[in-house]
Amino acid sequence: MTIAADANESAIRTRALRMVYHPGLMQRSKVALHSLNLDVPRASIYGFLGQNGAGKTSTIKILVALQMASAGRAWIMGTDVIHPAARQHIGFMPENPYFYEYLTAIETLVFYGKLSGMHGPSLTKKADALIEQFGLKQSRNTRMGEFSKGMRQRLGLAQAVLHEPAVVILDEPMSGLDPLGRRDIRNEILALRDRGCTVFFSSHILGDVADICDRVCIIHKGQHVAEGPISALLNQKVVEVEMAFSGIGPEGLPRLAEQARRAWHDGRLYRLLAADDDEALRLRAEAEAGGGTLRAMIPHHESLEEYFVRVTGEEGELKLLLDRAAEAASKKNAPVEGEKAAEAEEGAPAP
Amino acid sequence: MSVWIIALNTFKEAVRDKILYVLTVFAILLILVSRGIGWVSYGGELTVTTDLGLMAIWLFGALIAIFIGTGMIYKEIDKRTLYTILSKPINRWQFVLGKYFGLLLTIYVNLAVLTAVFFGYLAMVGAPVTLALGQALALTFVEMTVVTALAIFFSSASTPVLSAIFTFLLFTIGQLTKWVVDLGSVLQQSAPWAEKMLLALYRVMPNLHNFNIRQEAVQAHELHKALAISPGETLNVVLYGLSYTAALLLAAIFVFRRRNF
Ligand SMILES: Nc1ncnc2c1ncn2[C@@H]1O[C@H](COP(=O)(O)OP(=O)(O)OP(=O)(O)O)[C@@H](O)[C@H]1O
Ligand SMILES: [Mg+2]
Repeated sequence: MTIAADANESAIRTRALRMVYHPGLMQRSKVALHSLNLDVPRASIYGFLGQNGAGKTSTIKILVALQMASAGRAWIMGTDVIHPAARQHIGFMPENPYFYEYLTAIETLVFYGKLSGMHGPSLTKKADALIEQFGLKQSRNTRMGEFSKGMRQRLGLAQAVLHEPAVVILDEPMSGLDPLGRRDIRNEILALRDRGCTVFFSSHILGDVADICDRVCIIHKGQHVAEGPISALLNQKVVEVEMAFSGIGPEGLPRLAEQARRAWHDGRLYRLLAADDDEALRLRAEAEAGGGTLRAMIPHHESLEEYFVRVTGEEGELKLLLDRAAEAASKKNAPVEGEKAAEAEEGAPAP
Repeated sequence: MSVWIIALNTFKEAVRDKILYVLTVFAILLILVSRGIGWVSYGGELTVTTDLGLMAIWLFGALIAIFIGTGMIYKEIDKRTLYTILSKPINRWQFVLGKYFGLLLTIYVNLAVLTAVFFGYLAMVGAPVTLALGQALALTFVEMTVVTALAIFFSSASTPVLSAIFTFLLFTIGQLTKWVVDLGSVLQQSAPWAEKMLLALYRVMPNLHNFNIRQEAVQAHELHKALAISPGETLNVVLYGLSYTAALLLAAIFVFRRRNF
């Protein structure tokens, strides 16, 4: 059934994907996705980031065929998502997954397994193994209506990976989970990648994303603003240097407090934040002259969170405006150019 | 295959819902008190018991279809259970048919239980259990394929309250369509266009009264007839029911396939 011929084909690919909602007769229609191009390499963990309402769920719904794109195309493992065959490669967990209330956990998993073409004792065995792996053993025969949000989320993930799909798509898998639950999901995502699976997930929890993603894509108001490996995206310059001294009392040194970005006593050590390396060296000399002993000196680079705020903040807005202006200009010159590009793409993954 | 998996799952989910038992208990009570009503109002005629029992089974089948069926697909969207299901390698038509057959199975199991209770009760009070009664019940079963399809059709296009209203409305109109034709022939002279319109209306509405041979079935025993209506007529009615059902399901699939969730 696999139609994808080329092993180098991206696990997920979209071209000029557009989604317009028409809420009602009298309401204005809303463009949720402008023209999204994605290339998610195989066997990678791909973070899909954006503020609330950026268009993450809209994109994901198109990928799993819950919605039809207003324009543009998308492929999973080389198969156009409009074919049910594309969904053979997909495991999907929606935002806040929900299940039939009167079915038990094991019945639910077996049901999903059957829909994915699994059957017999091997299905039950696999389902039981996942239930145990995700810490739901005690609740195996509990009805889903009695499950807590976190438990449903775990079962949602189990249901997504049950049939060992090549691509796992997760919408906000960590939202609403306690630290332990988040760790479990992170570990599972890493394990999936190690097994050669592609994991595509949207998230707001940037710390988790930074730790595990090979690449990220950030979208803002339905338009892509940044894409690539995290290390390549973040500003490599030192943005701040943190130092800690012993031998300086809680009252601190007035001259230091004046010059540093921030200075405070944490109960044990006197801490300073300097804007860059040079300033750090000056402050250090000053602190040592005042009787302090350097205990730690840590250069801080830009965090994913700071980057995110940067590109979805004013800078991102500006880029969007420029992009849209450029798009409008190119449309004026060659009105069908966008469509041609989409057509050129169509030839490649033909079955 | 996927249709069957979804149907069985729908059945499982439905039989664990309390509303089904509430409706069933009511239906059984109605069958049991029918004898009492017969005594009080008709001087103990057993035909009244039979008549009321047949009606109770028919009515509760329809009520289950309307109460459970009209919310069925909407609930999947509202609770988002559908998200995970449609992300599996199945087609949307399989989902719609799965829901339909699951609901139909629920109703049939329910009607079978009610039928057993009904026949048992008739035997107990000494009323004749005839083939004609079986025939009337069989047509009720066929009628339920149409009513269930109506419920699923509206459910795949609109909200539960609206679907329930529409299904109930068509169910009621369907009982009366014969009179529409009668009205049309009355108008034949004075307003021929009105007759044409009424006739067209009659053609598209579900003519559910076709399935109502309860009166004939009850009287068949006294008239020394084995069947309420002839086998040929029965076949016609059954084919009508199945075609109408197929058309409704096609329409439901057509609507459902185009939806964004
Ligand atoms: N069914 C719909 N009808 C109308 N507008 C919609 C619909 N679904 C989404 N939108 C709009 O499309 C935009 C993108 O929504 P989407 O759900 O994709 O955002 P998101 O990135 O997933 O946000 P969040 O982080 O809050 O989940 C939003 O402005 C939203 O209001
Ligand atoms: Mg979302």
